[in-house]
Amino acid sequence: MNKMLADKKAIFIFTMPCLVFFGVIAFYPVLQTMVKSFYDWDGLTTGTFTGLDNYVRLFQDRVFWRSFRNGMIVAAVLVVLEVIVGLFLTLVLMNPKIKCRKFIRSSLFIPVVLSVTVVCQLWSSILNPEIGLINRVFEMLGSSYRQDWLSNKNIAIYIIAFVNAWQYMGYQFVIIYSSANSIPTDYLEAASIDGASRWQSNFHILIPMLKDTMRTSLIFAITGGFNIYAQMQLLTQGGPGTATYSLTYMTFRSAFKLRKYGYGCTSAVLLILQCLLAIGVINIVLGERKERDAYGKKKA
Amino acid sequence: MERRKHKTAYVQTIILVVFACISLYPLLYLIGYSLKTNDEIFYSNPFGLPLSPQWINYVKAITTFDVLTYFKNSVLTTVVSLAGIFTLILPFSYAVARMQWKLKGLATMFISIGLFIPLQVSLIPLSVLIKNMGMANTYGALILPYIAFNIAFPFMILSVAFRALPRELEEAAFIDGASVYRTFFSIMLPLVKPAIASAMLFAALGIWNEYILPTVMISSDSLKTLPAGLATFVGQHSTNWGAMGATMMMASIPTIILYLCFSEKIENSLTVGGAVKG
Repeated sequence: MNKMLADKKAIFIFTMPCLVFFGVIAFYPVLQTMVKSFYDWDGLTTGTFTGLDNYVRLFQDRVFWRSFRNGMIVAAVLVVLEVIVGLFLTLVLMNPKIKCRKFIRSSLFIPVVLSVTVVCQLWSSILNPEIGLINRVFEMLGSSYRQDWLSNKNIAIYIIAFVNAWQYMGYQFVIIYSSANSIPTDYLEAASIDGASRWQSNFHILIPMLKDTMRTSLIFAITGGFNIYAQMQLLTQGGPGTATYSLTYMTFRSAFKLRKYGYGCTSAVLLILQCLLAIGVINIVLGERKERDAYGKKKA
Repeated sequence: MERRKHKTAYVQTIILVVFACISLYPLLYLIGYSLKTNDEIFYSNPFGLPLSPQWINYVKAITTFDVLTYFKNSVLTTVVSLAGIFTLILPFSYAVARMQWKLKGLATMFISIGLFIPLQVSLIPLSVLIKNMGMANTYGALILPYIAFNIAFPFMILSVAFRALPRELEEAAFIDGASVYRTFFSIMLPLVKPAIASAMLFAALGIWNEYILPTVMISSDSLKTLPAGLATFVGQHSTNWGAMGATMMMASIPTIILYLCFSEKIENSLTVGGAVKG
């Protein structure tokens, strides 16, 4: 029995394809990103080693700081709209008196399955300054508060964050809702026998028990915010000016538009650091945990 | 007291319905304008139901736009990537969860890196690598990275599922003379089917919606997947709103139907996702 399960040849056959494939297609390029961030590289030649030059330039680059800040803004909006609202909706929906839960769950989730292009096109028509739904509503209300939403450099980044949150709110909600429902009901029953109100038991029992899930959700939301890209490309192309650049957008542009591959790698490395830092902080704030449990996985 | 409770439930239902509307209304608006003329969308009837549904928009969308090609590309890359992911990860998860070897902690850590590192970060060297492999502008340019970047999560789900199976199954199989391969394929694999389905749906959602790779790796229109293909289309046909709406609808209906059929499974997969403990 043990001999069978310790069969070296079988282990090799079972694990090698996966390890090699992952190593070549995922791990090696990440290493390359780090290495090439120290090079002046055009993507064709091997490049010349320039030490910290790229980093020095990056830190003096206004676009970098703008992108960095935008990542924070988007992450903050996603935390509020996805995680906090998701938690709130979960607590509300757990009330057994509420009917049509299935309908509500499904309607919240449907935007998740739409293509990101469809979502952005849909919202860019709703936000259209001349004929968009939102400005039409202001018009109908007789208000002159009409905006060119996506061309306003103070608002645009929030709109982008909102569109992303609109699409993925249901995703986070279902994660939180499902794990809230997988908590054994005994605790809540015991609390209600002891006379606790629903909201008291929510705050003192349910939310603390959801800590692991909240950590996952926060990591999803924050790294997702830092990594945002598709919405920039589809809604504003980074504009107006550089107002809606993100680090991914900057990486992408340096490499594929400006042909500065090395510099692009540098901003990508900063993106990794930003994500790792956020994951670290979340893990410290929300308690013990080996890094293995945190998911940095994200949708674009 | 009873009455007050009813009232709270009432208020809470309203809150939930408002959120459901926020999620659904934009989609209804899209359905609406896919069936309207430009004039109706812009001036005469922006909010209401289409007065005389312009089915011709859908005809125009099909004839002027390759929604079917993009759709086919999306289905193909997603299905092949899923096949690749599970071919690699099923034996790997089994070996890590059930077999005995020294380096399995290290191997687990290595594959788990995929959870932290977003595809964006490796984009530049990856594109060079794909080009050097002669795969730029082929389906392979999408499928290989999709497989590599989507094995970590199914791995977590599957290794938990494999670990939960009782030891006696393998013992009985070995006593009956089955090899480790036979045991894996005929006994252990069928038992983790539910976990496979969950992990698959989870991975499929992510791959279906991925936007960056097809825009970077694919320049030929005939190979683009939906997110990138539609984006090109939007740029070209921005004046014909009705037809554009119809195209967007055609791109969305299949996934919405799929979701409505499998919603339970998808939600289960997310529970697994949320509940996985190292």
